[in-house]
Amino acid sequence: MAERRAHPSSSGGRVMADVPAEPDSLSPLPQRIADVITLPARTVTQATASATTNAYFTARRWLADEVDDWGRDNGLTNRIWMASQLRWDISVGGTEHLPKRSGALIVVNARRFALAPLFAALAIGADIDRPVRFVGRPDIAPFGPSLQRMGALLPIAAELEGALRAGQLIVVGAGHERTNARSGAVDHRLVGAAIAAKVPVFPAATASVLLRRNARVEVGAAVKSAKRRRGPLEELETADAVRARIDSLLVEMGGTLTGTPLDWFPLARIGAL
Amino acid sequence: MGGELGCRVASLLEAEPWVGSLEGIDADPPRGRLRRAKFHRIVPGQHDRVVEVVTNFNPHVLIHIAVWEPHSRANPNRAAEFTDDAATSILGAAAECRALESIVVRSGIEVYGRGRGSVTRPDERVPLAPTSGYGRTLHNIENTADAIGRRIGVAIGSLRLAPVLGPHVPSPLGRLLRMPAVPFSALANPPFAVIHQNDAAEAFVSAARERLSEPLNIVAPGAITAGQAIRRGRRIPIPLIGPDWAIARQLMYLGGAPVPDHVEEMLHRGRLADNRRAREVLGFAPTTTTRAVINELYRWPSVVHIPARVAAA
Repeated sequence: MAERRAHPSSSGGRVMADVPAEPDSLSPLPQRIADVITLPARTVTQATASATTNAYFTARRWLADEVDDWGRDNGLTNRIWMASQLRWDISVGGTEHLPKRSGALIVVNARRFALAPLFAALAIGADIDRPVRFVGRPDIAPFGPSLQRMGALLPIAAELEGALRAGQLIVVGAGHERTNARSGAVDHRLVGAAIAAKVPVFPAATASVLLRRNARVEVGAAVKSAKRRRGPLEELETADAVRARIDSLLVEMGGTLTGTPLDWFPLARIGAL
Repeated sequence: MGGELGCRVASLLEAEPWVGSLEGIDADPPRGRLRRAKFHRIVPGQHDRVVEVVTNFNPHVLIHIAVWEPHSRANPNRAAEFTDDAATSILGAAAECRALESIVVRSGIEVYGRGRGSVTRPDERVPLAPTSGYGRTLHNIENTADAIGRRIGVAIGSLRLAPVLGPHVPSPLGRLLRMPAVPFSALANPPFAVIHQNDAAEAFVSAARERLSEPLNIVAPGAITAGQAIRRGRRIPIPLIGPDWAIARQLMYLGGAPVPDHVEEMLHRGRLADNRRAREVLGFAPTTTTRAVINELYRWPSVVHIPARVAAA
């Protein structure tokens, strides 16, 4: 039996009980007219309920006063992510390459003072709705523990390996460079941790500009060593391959950016930048 | 077998079908009723009596839980002395037992140490580098057990427990967190993990059943910081930044909750450990999360005063 719910506004603000509709008593036209009349009120009610529910769950997520097994505070990280959007407007691509559940190492290029591992971890985490950690916290208070709340790990291969074995996604920064034109050296010991943990290594190119909000993170397909090695040569070769792949991703993204009108000229082609 | 953990392990072992007979040694009598187990009251220093009891019983599996945490039931010096005495006599006596197949010893995640640059969440393969007195005591137990195991060809399993909390477990951490005002490191406030006494007891039983032959971390899932624990317990937080810890320790000592060095280290540097290996090897996973243990910590009644039914004299 069909039911028609009377709108609260039709009874002076009171909520009426559901009245069973009599299909034969109302013709389709009055029903449609009634639907049209109550449409704005129904829409507003639904939108309000939806917004309230969303706000409740968002507030719960943001204000959660809990840390996970690695000391990451998801509520705090969500708040920092929202605040970081004042500084960065990040577009993320290529996250379909990343595993849904298992661990993986993502190596990003890092421009000096750009905080690339941090914003890449926040952006990728927000994009795939999964906590993403990054490497590079000092082991000294108060900076170390503060960064730990945001998901930072110590730059130690054993720490990285443990987290990767536990199925975590981790962002590692390559060596710092002056511009986004190319990647710095990739620490082969950290890549070795991924190989030991038997998880894939993904290159990711980051581009951000000091004076502008726009930033970009592009994740490439997993990199594998060309040859199977039994010894530590595999991690060296994988690190080199990752660096080369990041360089090619950076070229695909348009090379270096300065955030100034210089970007309009093809200076990279003449080797100026 | 006299402590909370030992008594709980004994009562669980009584229910195990593979356990034929069960005997236990402790300085204190059992705190619960044990139906099948036979108890011997021996203080840790009486090596000859321990050797006599253990060799007469000639066990297949020996579970060594006799570890005194500093400031739990004894001051740090006495605790280390009792622990060393008990380990020496019991593990030494075990070496004389022909039927012995497996030894399970209690250790703790304090053995990993929390020095600068140490792994935040170590697994069992991380090298041991204890940085507290309690950690060094536990490291000594593991070394002693390993040496004996190698010598007589017996499997040695070490259970590295996170700080054990329970309704009646004497724990310096539990006592500290239940104080009306609790100090914590304002600059670090790092995360730590604990384990419920029932889960710890279950882990010992699983290890004995499986004849464990490697070290395992036994840690409840999840983590919590001291600040969060204080807020959950609705205690007064006292943020400290460094030199004032010396004063706070003295005040806590006077207040009845002395803070040993491994607890202070935990409040400054955190204490986590990777617990996946226990699930793989024993098929054991703690059922109570760290946050749930802390929630329960604040729900346990302090002291229950039972009035006398008949007025005496």
